[in-house]
This record gives sequence, C-alpha cells and structure tokens, in this order.
Amino acid sequence: MNMRQVGIEIPKVDVLEKALGEAKYGADLPCQEPLHLKVLRSPTSHAKIVRMQMEKALRVSGVERIFTAKDIPGKNLVGTIVKDQPILASDRVRYIGDAVALIAARTEEAAEEAAQKVVVVYEDLPSIIHPEEALHPHAPLIHEKGNLLLEFHVIKGDVQKGFKEAEVVVEETYTTTWVDHAYLEPDAGISYLDEKGRITIVCPTQNVHYDQKEVASVLSLPLDQVRIIQCSTGGGFGGRLDVTIQCLLALAAFHLKQPVRIVYSREEVFQVTSKRHPLTIRYKSGAKKDGKLIAIEVDILGDTGAYASYGGTVAIRSAVHATGPYQVPNVKVRSRMAYTNNSWSGAMRGFGVPQMAFAHESQMDLLAQALKMDPIEIRLKNCLRVGSETATGQTLTASVGIGETLKKVKEWRDKLSLLKDDSKKPFIKKGVGIGSMWYGIGNTGIANPSTAQMEIDPDGEIRLFTGVADIGQGSDTVLLQIASEAIGVSLDEIRLIRADTAVTTDAGATSASRQTYISGNAILDAIKNLKHSAIQEASQLLNIDENDLFFENGKVKSRTCLTTSIPLREIAKRCAKILKGEGSFDPETTKLDPQTGQGVPYATYAFATHLAEVEVDTESGKVSVNRVIASHDVGKAIHPQNVIGQIMGGVAMGTGFALMEEYVPGEKTSFVNYLIPTSKDVPEVIPIVVEDKEPTGPFGAKGVGEPALIPSAPAILNAIAEAIGQRIYDLPANLERVLGAVQKRKLA
Amino acid sequence: MIPPFEYKIPNTIEETCDLLWKAKGKAKIIAGGTDLVIGLRNGDQAPSVIIDITRIEQLRKIEEKNSTLSIGATVTHSEIASSPSVRKYGKVLSDAASEIGSPQIRNVGTIGGNIVNASPAADTLPPLMVLNAMGRVISKEEERQVPLAQLFKGPYQTQLKPHELLVQISFQKLHPEVKSSFVRLARRDAMAIARMNVAVVFQVEQSRIKDIRIAVGSVTPTPQRMSGAETFLEGEKLEEKLLKKASLKVSETMIRQSGIRPSTSYKQPVVEALFIRAMKKALEE
Repeated sequence: MNMRQVGIEIPKVDVLEKALGEAKYGADLPCQEPLHLKVLRSPTSHAKIVRMQMEKALRVSGVERIFTAKDIPGKNLVGTIVKDQPILASDRVRYIGDAVALIAARTEEAAEEAAQKVVVVYEDLPSIIHPEEALHPHAPLIHEKGNLLLEFHVIKGDVQKGFKEAEVVVEETYTTTWVDHAYLEPDAGISYLDEKGRITIVCPTQNVHYDQKEVASVLSLPLDQVRIIQCSTGGGFGGRLDVTIQCLLALAAFHLKQPVRIVYSREEVFQVTSKRHPLTIRYKSGAKKDGKLIAIEVDILGDTGAYASYGGTVAIRSAVHATGPYQVPNVKVRSRMAYTNNSWSGAMRGFGVPQMAFAHESQMDLLAQALKMDPIEIRLKNCLRVGSETATGQTLTASVGIGETLKKVKEWRDKLSLLKDDSKKPFIKKGVGIGSMWYGIGNTGIANPSTAQMEIDPDGEIRLFTGVADIGQGSDTVLLQIASEAIGVSLDEIRLIRADTAVTTDAGATSASRQTYISGNAILDAIKNLKHSAIQEASQLLNIDENDLFFENGKVKSRTCLTTSIPLREIAKRCAKILKGEGSFDPETTKLDPQTGQGVPYATYAFATHLAEVEVDTESGKVSVNRVIASHDVGKAIHPQNVIGQIMGGVAMGTGFALMEEYVPGEKTSFVNYLIPTSKDVPEVIPIVVEDKEPTGPFGAKGVGEPALIPSAPAILNAIAEAIGQRIYDLPANLERVLGAVQKRKLA
Repeated sequence: MIPPFEYKIPNTIEETCDLLWKAKGKAKIIAGGTDLVIGLRNGDQAPSVIIDITRIEQLRKIEEKNSTLSIGATVTHSEIASSPSVRKYGKVLSDAASEIGSPQIRNVGTIGGNIVNASPAADTLPPLMVLNAMGRVISKEEERQVPLAQLFKGPYQTQLKPHELLVQISFQKLHPEVKSSFVRLARRDAMAIARMNVAVVFQVEQSRIKDIRIAVGSVTPTPQRMSGAETFLEGEKLEEKLLKKASLKVSETMIRQSGIRPSTSYKQPVVEALFIRAMKKALEE
C-alpha cells in the first residue's frame, strides 16, 4: 500500500505552540480570581491522627476555608484497581506526605501560612520499611485487609524436572529502588463550575475518563456532573495515571462554588506522587550445554508503599514478563506486592518490566559466560519467534521481531573494534553489553477498550473525537495521521477534539504503550463506519446501489461508472446532516488463570535490543556510557521521528535508572539531591527501527513508549560487568557500588 | 514561601558596609544567589535585608599588580574561566571555575559567594587554598587581609563577622614552570556537587619536588591543605612509589579530620587515587 500520511516525516502537530511557549500547561491556565489551595501533609510515616485544631489557621487573613476528610461527601478512597488511598486522611496517615487538610485562601501566601498554623496531634504507630518485614505474620497492619496486596503465579511445565535436565544453572538476587518520573511540569491545575454547572477540572493528566470517575465518586455526583479537560501536559511516564490534584481541586470547587487553583512545588511532586516499585528478584535459570534455556524459577517481592495504586498491575506484569523475550519450557514465577510505610509506588514507564529486564538480561549474560557463548548468540538461540509459546501458554502468530533486533545489533557490534583500553589511562576499563526485552502492548489480561468518533458536518468540517491524552509522546499527531491516511484527506483538514470528558468518549489511559495500537484501531473502526454511512447517503443522493459504491481518497466512487465520484464533504452538504462514524477496539486477550497465570495477556508484543558501550573509571567507580545502539521492533513507525524521539528519551531515562536515580523517602527532596542524567551524561544514541508488521495493528503498528526505556539499563549493567569482570546486582550502579565491585574483583 | 525582606542595591563598598552595620546581623549579601536563593526557598535563610552587591564596579574586576593577581568578589565563575590572566597565572583556579555546575550557574555564581558559602565541597576552595589566596575583608570598623585558610570555621560557616564584607581575593602569580592541576569527581558530569575535588601546585627542580601544596575538598569539614603529604613530598624525588605513599598521608589526614564514617570505605581509596591522578595530570600539562 502506498501511504501518504503514515511513515512520513512531518512536524508534530503541537510542536509550534510548544516551541513558541504558547502552550498552556497547568500553572499557565487563565483563571479569574481563583482561591489558592495548599495541602497540609503528614510529617510522619505512620501515625494515628489524635486531633486537629484549625482555629489559629482560620484566623489568618485571606483564608476562606479548611477542608478535612469530614468534608468529603462521597467515597474518601481512590485507586486505579484497589481503592485504598484517601484524598484527605481521616484517622491515620501511612507515609510522609499523606494529605491531612486542604486550605483555600485568597493568596498562596495566606494558604501557606495557614497550613503552618494548623495543629495536628499525631500518635506514632510502628512503621514498616521493608516488604519482607511487612509480610511477617506478626507485622503491624498498614491496611486492615493485611499487608499483602497481591500474589500472582505463572506456572508452566515442570521446573523441577527442567532443572534436573539443566547442564548449567545460575541463581542470583537482584534489587532495584524507587525512581521518580521527573516529569518536567509540576502538577498544577484549576477547577470551576462550567456554563452547565458541572465541576470542571483542567489539569495535566494521562486519563481524563478515569479522573472523572474518581472525582464523581469522591463528590458523590453523577458522572455527567464532572468534567475533566486535559491541558498541555509536561510529561507523565505513568506518574499522572493516578489522580494527583484532581480530587483536591474538585472538593474545593464543589464546596466554595468559585474557581480554585493549585500549583505543586517540585518538592511536593517528589514527596507525594508515585514512584517506580522497588523489586527484589531472586532468579534461577537453567540451560542445556548448547545454551538452550530449559527452566527458570523466579521470586519477586515488590514494595507498593502506603497504597495499592498500580502495585497489583506491576506484580502481574513483572511475573508475565519474567522470562524475557525467550522461549522457556518450564517456568515457575511467584510475584508478591507488599504494603509498607514508604512513599507509594505506582505506574512508571514499563510497570515492573524494566526491573525484570535487568534481572533476566543479567542471567542471560551469566549463562553465556558459564557456557563460554557469545551473549548475542545465546539470545538468538532462545529468542521468541513466530510459533513460539510464551510462559503463559500464548502462541505467537506474527510480528515477533526480537531476532531481527538482535541481528541488527550484532551487525553493529561485529564492525566495532571497541575493547582497546587506553594505555594512558590504565584505570579506565571499557566494556560492551547487550540488553533485550519484550513488552506486551496494553493492559494485562483484562479488557482495555478504546472508543473514537469521526464526523463530517454539512459545512465541511471533518472532526476526530478521541479521549486520548497526549502527554508529549505524540498521540495527537499519530492519531491524526492514522485518521487522515484512512479517510484520504490531508492531516490539516481534520480538526482534533481530544481529552475532554464533555465531548469525547473513553479511550482508556495513555499508558502501557497502548494508544497507537488500541486507539489507532478504534479510529480506524470509526472511519470504517463513517465510510459506510457515507456510502449509504451517497447511494440515495446518486440513486446508485450501495454495492456499486466504494470509498477512496476521501470520495465515494462507483465501480461501474468511472466518472461518478462524490467527495465526502459534498455528501454531508447535500444531505444536510452530520455524517458520523462511531468506533471502538478492544484487543483480543483472555483472563489469566488465577493459579497458573496461563492465558493470552496481550494481543501483541513489542521487542527491542540495546547495545551499550561504557567506560568505567576503576579508581572512582564512575561510569560513562559512550554510545547506545538501540534496535526496536515497533511493527510500523507511523511517525518515524517520533519513534526515534521515544528511543532517545528512553535511553536517557534508562541511563539514569542504571547509574544514578535513587529516591529515598524523606531524604531526596528535589532535583538538588535527586540526580537524573544531564545532556553531558547521556550517550550518543544510534536508533534502528525494525518494522515487523503486526497484522492487527493500525497499518501494522504496535507501540514504543515503554519499550524505548527497558533494554538500556540491562545493556549498561552488562557492559559494566564486561568492563570490570564483576557483576553488579543492585541498581543503581552508583559510584560506591561500582568501586565495591572493582574491589571485589581484585580480591577474587 | 520566601518571607518578605528589604532589597538594597548599594553602589559602593562604603554604602554596603553602612547597610551591613545597620542591619545588625540580619542582612544577607546577594551576588549570583545560587546558594542564597536555595536557602531562602527551603527556609534555612530568613534575612530581613538582602544587599545586592553586583552593581559595585570595584568588586567586578580582575587586576594584575606586580606579582599579584586580584579577583573581585562578584567576578563570576564564567569570567574566571575565560580570563586569560587567571588562566596564565592561576590555571588551577581557572580549571575549577570552568567545571562548576552548569553554564547558567557559572554565569551568575561568583567567587566571593563560593567562598563565604563555605561549602565543604566548593570547587574554587581547593585551588584557592593551594594558591595561598588572601581575602580582603572590609567593614565599618576596619579593613583586613586574611589568609583564606583562616576564614573557615566549619561546614557552611566562616569567621567573618556579620557586618564584614569579603571584597577581593588575591594570590601570587604562579610562574610558568609551576605545575598545577585540578581533578574533580561527581555523580554526574554537570550540575552536581563534587564528591571530591583535588588541587595541587608544585615545582620540579632536578626531578625533585619543591614548594608542593595540596588541598582536597569534600572530605573534611572545611577545606584543608594536606600538610602531612606536603611535608612528606617536599624535596623528594618524584617517583610512582613515593606518590603512592604520599596518597596514604592524604587519606590519613582525611580520616583524622572527619573520623571513620559510612562513606569512608569509599572515600579512602578514591581520595588516594584522585590525588595521584592530580599529580600526574599536573606533570602532563
């Protein structure tokens, strides 16, 4: 198929307004004389609230009202799946930063002063810091139902038998820690009653329809009384999948009946938004002499912190992805997620898979080392291909590009002559490492539909309606490209209406790398239906049988009479009504078996391999990543530049995950002490786009948002291991850990 | 929230001294603000008066006088890094200034600010220590010259009285044959506080070490000269083994000053290595 809008180089549709600084982010939103909101938060990680005294705070000039849990008319609990997180704590706080009271005042200063004058008397409860401790039978309970949020298993074949047949076995324990999303825009937004009296919230978010449900539940309002509008959003990476400021804004606007505004400081964002789940992964792998994997046994324990958020999702997805992109006949995985009194963990780019990839890719290199095999060869030998069966018993039927990504990286590696240590700097050791991954597109084994509408009105305006939130990843452009390609009109002729619950329908979250694939397909479905109704209308207008008509390049044409053709706009104009196509798509998945995890969790998977070249300063432990070759099977790159942009950003984030990002609750407060890579720390990136088309994807597309990040850290860690001859099992590989490994190597 | 304060912009040193005197210890000086503003924001600092000294022309100059090079307190790190005379007569300082923070920080942060903030990790302090820099301090009461080494009391604390103003730093120009270097380690390659920073200055005469000065930052509560290692090396023949032994003196001093801490197992071997690296770098340059 010769495509005009897909796979071409065009600017992103929002690029100009962002480059010119015209885009309105949360803190830029115009709002007439709003009241300013400030949250009072818990200074302690676990305590009973004995009493609160507001008198002094209420006397601060400019203070309008102070809200507590008692002011919440509906359900004071939110959460994506398990609802256990209060908007304002009523009797108990569970982490440093739990919201306790909300102050509304005429100025930010007054709100802040009042926050300092609210007296809260706490009675400390014992805090649980480690998930192992949380699961101890006599551990104090953080939530009444117990400290285990979820336990999930994937069981296939017979691991005992598998390990008996194994000729080499490696077993290690890997740990990862909290990581902050570090999105550029601190959470901020406004709320007001719109012309229809609806509680309206304008803010950065990854999912307006989810926000709408949470706000409605908190305020005990029908859904149509709540409206969420997404403003320009400065990044998300999963951090804006949970509600952040939405319910606080809504609560104040609901009671005060006037506009309110909240702007988090960066410190507040660090303290109170979700983090990547720290996982401890015990991983045992067995292989035959020829390198073929025969069994893996994996035990995962995660820290969800004070609340559930996406803890269950991460426990399940990490278990499902535990094998890596490899065929393993015997699999036993146990994955548990426990509550603690740490900062709450939530969704973050990859949902546990980046942590798992660090473990399974380290294991692959250890096996290769034990078998004296080339790291790429052992991966090629085991990698999934068409016809392979995954650990959950799913047979892959198409678009399994892992082998191709490995081959592309191998071509690069074989022509590089890398391992020349510098004689002038004998303390510098160089190394090359490989990291591969697979990633299921969309939610795991549950329905995750998207809907969309496409319409054309008699005035000739063509409109695309989608609930998809573009958080900078480029869905506005990609979805318009898909629509314009399918309908046969140019991209700038289509008006995009998106992410406003009053005018768009649920597209699900911008997460799980799902929007191109799922919402792209929903749009194609809408266009199919729009074309159908256009043909019906044209049939009447032209008095030609429907079966003789077909749709091509924005026109309805006749098969028999070659001169008969009527443009879409003409049809709408002549029949004087809006032509509309409704569309939806839900990928084909099955529910996973609760005992064995067997089933079809995803309709399709993305695959990738990175090669990292590093230099290790063996006297200080400082690691420099010089270059990353990043090869990604995305199915089809709808917007190639954007795919490359995702890969570049993924490598940058992966470099931080590998080497320096380390959130510590109560200690790391802002970018002053939470370090992410700067432009000087980010390697050169050579992106390679592999297009193994997915038959069910829009024009063959899958996804790339999370896959871009996942293989970087494993490749970097494997490169460090090669450079210094000693492996690091705990992330990040900071100065102390790398130097420790060098010293351990010397002792060995 | 930053509490309200008065903002004064004097044009002369005298005016500044008057303002400081009147403020009775409740004033803070601002130049680049790269440390003060953070302090204001996180509540560590709550002055009632802030005195902006960036308009005082006298403080903005780099001057050569006979054998001395003087740098005004509000000269920025960028200006130091790009000054031909600092590069010529005090390259160790020029190198350090060019590695501080980021271009934005270097464009506003000043040498005077870096000194009086007295961070144990400040990048200009080890170079100034090995240059035997002197500070010129003025107040309504008196004017005095103070060796930089005597200016520090503890982490983030100086001996300056609240009404005193540091106006200038000066040091003896280094001769062209003098070897010097600055070596820095941080957790990332820009915008990171130094984990360690080492400055060395020495001469080599008939392959023997002469006039050696060593200072290490970030490992002791205040910037220190490593006098044990200096004495050990003075007059000795420059050999690999000797450097190794001297490096142990450096780490000994660190441990004596800072005690054994959880970070010591990392810092000890690294400070030794960085010291040796600094010595070799100086010889290469």
